[in-house]
Amino acid sequence: MSLAAQAPRFRATVILTLFAMVAAPAALIIYQSFLSAPFFDEAARPSLEAYQFILTDPEFYRALWTTTLYAVGMVVVAVPLGGLLAFLITRTDLKGRRWLEPLVLVPMFLSSIVLAFGYTVAVGPSGFVTIAFRSVFGAAPWSIYTLPGIILIGGLSHVPTVYLYVASAMRRLPSDLEEAARTAGASVWRVSLDVTLPMVLPALVFSAALNLLLGFETFGIPLVLGDPNGILVLTTYIYKVNTIFGAPTYQVMAAVTVFLILITLPLVFIQRRLLRHARRFAAVGGKGARTNLLKLGAAGQVIALSIIGLWLLVSVVLPVGGIILRAFVENWGEGIRLSEQLTLANFQRVFELPSLSRGIVNTILLAAIGGAVAVAFYLVVGLAGHRNHGRTGTLLDYSVLVPRALPGLIVGLAFFWLFLFVPFLVPLRTTLFSLLIAYIIVGLSYGLRIIQATLLQVAPELEESARTAGADTFRTWRDVVIPLVRPGLAGAWAMIMIVFLREYATGVYLMSAGTEVIGSLMVSLLTSGAMDQIAALSFISILLTAVGLTLALRLGAKIHD
Amino acid sequence: MTDLVVNNVQKWLGGVQILSGASFVAEKGRIVALLGASGSGKTTLLRCIAGLEQPELGIIRIGGTTVLDDKAGVALPPEQRQIGLVFQSYALWPHRTVFDNVAYGLKLRNVPAGEIKAKVEAILEKLGLAHLAARYPDQLSGGQQQRVAICRALVYEPKVLLLDEPLSNLDAKLREEARFWIRKLILDLKICAIMVTHDQAEALAIADQVLLLKGGSIVQSGTPLEIYSKPETFYAADFMGTNNVLSGRLVRTSGHSDMIDCAGLSLAGIWRDREPPADANSVRAVIRMEAISVSPEPSPESAPFDVEGCIYLGEKWEYRLKRGDLRLRAQGHEPLGAAIAHCRIPASATWLYNP
Repeated sequence: MSLAAQAPRFRATVILTLFAMVAAPAALIIYQSFLSAPFFDEAARPSLEAYQFILTDPEFYRALWTTTLYAVGMVVVAVPLGGLLAFLITRTDLKGRRWLEPLVLVPMFLSSIVLAFGYTVAVGPSGFVTIAFRSVFGAAPWSIYTLPGIILIGGLSHVPTVYLYVASAMRRLPSDLEEAARTAGASVWRVSLDVTLPMVLPALVFSAALNLLLGFETFGIPLVLGDPNGILVLTTYIYKVNTIFGAPTYQVMAAVTVFLILITLPLVFIQRRLLRHARRFAAVGGKGARTNLLKLGAAGQVIALSIIGLWLLVSVVLPVGGIILRAFVENWGEGIRLSEQLTLANFQRVFELPSLSRGIVNTILLAAIGGAVAVAFYLVVGLAGHRNHGRTGTLLDYSVLVPRALPGLIVGLAFFWLFLFVPFLVPLRTTLFSLLIAYIIVGLSYGLRIIQATLLQVAPELEESARTAGADTFRTWRDVVIPLVRPGLAGAWAMIMIVFLREYATGVYLMSAGTEVIGSLMVSLLTSGAMDQIAALSFISILLTAVGLTLALRLGAKIHD
Repeated sequence: MTDLVVNNVQKWLGGVQILSGASFVAEKGRIVALLGASGSGKTTLLRCIAGLEQPELGIIRIGGTTVLDDKAGVALPPEQRQIGLVFQSYALWPHRTVFDNVAYGLKLRNVPAGEIKAKVEAILEKLGLAHLAARYPDQLSGGQQQRVAICRALVYEPKVLLLDEPLSNLDAKLREEARFWIRKLILDLKICAIMVTHDQAEALAIADQVLLLKGGSIVQSGTPLEIYSKPETFYAADFMGTNNVLSGRLVRTSGHSDMIDCAGLSLAGIWRDREPPADANSVRAVIRMEAISVSPEPSPESAPFDVEGCIYLGEKWEYRLKRGDLRLRAQGHEPLGAAIAHCRIPASATWLYNP
């Protein structure tokens, strides 16, 4: 036992509260999956009906198979490409690599429903590019509403996640390791292959595992792009199950979720182990200035820039450009000049509809104020776990893993149930508070990681010297730790704000009249096919994200720890 | 008056015992050095006194208050122990000025603002820092930071001042100065100070009492003079000073002093180990380098050695001598010209120990 075990009551209270917040939705889902009817129904009996149903439903097996293909395919697309981009931008003398880096990260900040919609309006069957291509060449040889199309788009949009991990591993690589190989007689390319690649392998493996997890939990892209041809993944199967039955079938949704958790939870644990391993590798590092960038040469520059340019065109320019254009036109097609069709009518309609304009305000409120509340909450949790090597510290470690194994859609659904039936929560259901709680849980692992990394930057002696000077644990936090991490908190707030801005799945079930948010509105508008409004909302969402990102960079947020 | 009592403190870390029953007392106006190699447990012992680590067993009293007693279940947190701790890294809070760093301990003790100002200014003045009060730690030199750290730990008049390698981050010149003024300051203030160091010169220069630690327990304690000139174990003898260590066989004759037979050379010596010889066939002799007199001319009781080399060290020469398999290091003020030199090794300087 060391100093860490001080203020145990505070730590235990906070961590147990957090545990309750993550365990309640998970437990409720598991409980629901073993009932014959919704858990609040008098007629609900313990039963395996839900499992019997899905295990005999060919649609479920097809969705399971599709999800697996999607997740694996995403890894196959994203990992090599992300690794290559990271290598080109961090390790070569590529022209313009400084301003390429933020561009490469753009898809990560956009909600995948916005991205997917962007692909629909750009390269979908009646997308701008498709029509233009068809008018010139007679036919467009692609279809994004197929499984390979969905996988490709999913993979491309997840390149930034891979990029972040691999690029930071490459930057942390101590240059003397490579210099040792150079002096031993290895050529630059040889060194990349024999030293650099093995050293960043843990980061590559980790990002592969992370993308596999994200692949299984994916919702937005298959929802938008898979629906027209009836391609279902597990999350969209859960979402569509109601439509199939024509009535809420909570037990079936819960049972599918349990299956999903059975896949995602092991993945979360594998990732946790991989991350430890990766850290051990990285811990070797000094951070000597890297003097030897690989010289690409003229031909190399052209090839490298073409690869990055093509990726940027497909992953950023197409969807974002498509949305920007679509938001300002109502009619398009062969022979129509778009420049004559420009209009603000889409936005007018959005602002006329109270639910939509409310959604915009709510989204901003949730992101800005909710983001600040979330950061405060993560800070309290972070402090409770700070230098806490006791049993509660371990509990916190595991509590954080639970929401990672649950897709946002499910967390939202579970909180919807909780807010429907837990007595003291009922009056809060129709307020933004219910969404905030669910958002805090969905953003928990990301937000807490930022906060914990910031807290760990405070050298232990700075806290110990306050203690020996006569300050108790709380006083030390108040007078030393919090003032020192304050700049980091501002950055964390901006990053959480972006996460909350792009969130769409959590509100699908949880939002009600008065608590609409942009992302979830888009999900529900998809059913009604109100493309004009979706386009305008997507545009506003991109705009808000851009504002959030600017703010984040201004506040010195670290995009990755 | 006894300000610090440490009694049988034991600590384990993952099955490894890092403190195995350290006990000592320290008094007001005296400086105790915890001296030892790295891994000897000296810093852990200091952190246990501070309350930053929690030993499993033992009793610690500070200024008459029991701050740790495993049997009574007492374990006061650091803030209730009335101590001041100077960290090796100084650990000045980067977001506070020098004044606010020093004032913090007083603020925590609810001292009125006027009094805080007076006390902080007085101590800054005393350590020659008055003109730096408004600066931030990163605007100070290493030596200034160290003095601020000492002010911060002293200003609220703790019962015990703890110093963790306080000089290790200073350059050589500053360190020699600091040895002197830190000792003077502590004697002036008449407080009890415990200092951790791995540097024997530092311990000998600053402390009134040196505790030599090995493997988490105290192997010997005494005044600097006792520790240096009367080590009671081979470890203590070898740890202090620059030594020649010889292995050999003990020859005891009644009426005469003890002799050690090593590689054909018989040396008269004295048994210094606190234990009697365990195995006469395997004993060690420790001869301080400065105890050997070397001259080109033979004298009574001297033995001839081959000169392997002479190394110039500035203020002196180091001689490397050899006789059969036996090698010696000695010193003098002139280089040795001849191939043979004559060494006189006094019996009183040949200390014999169990290995």
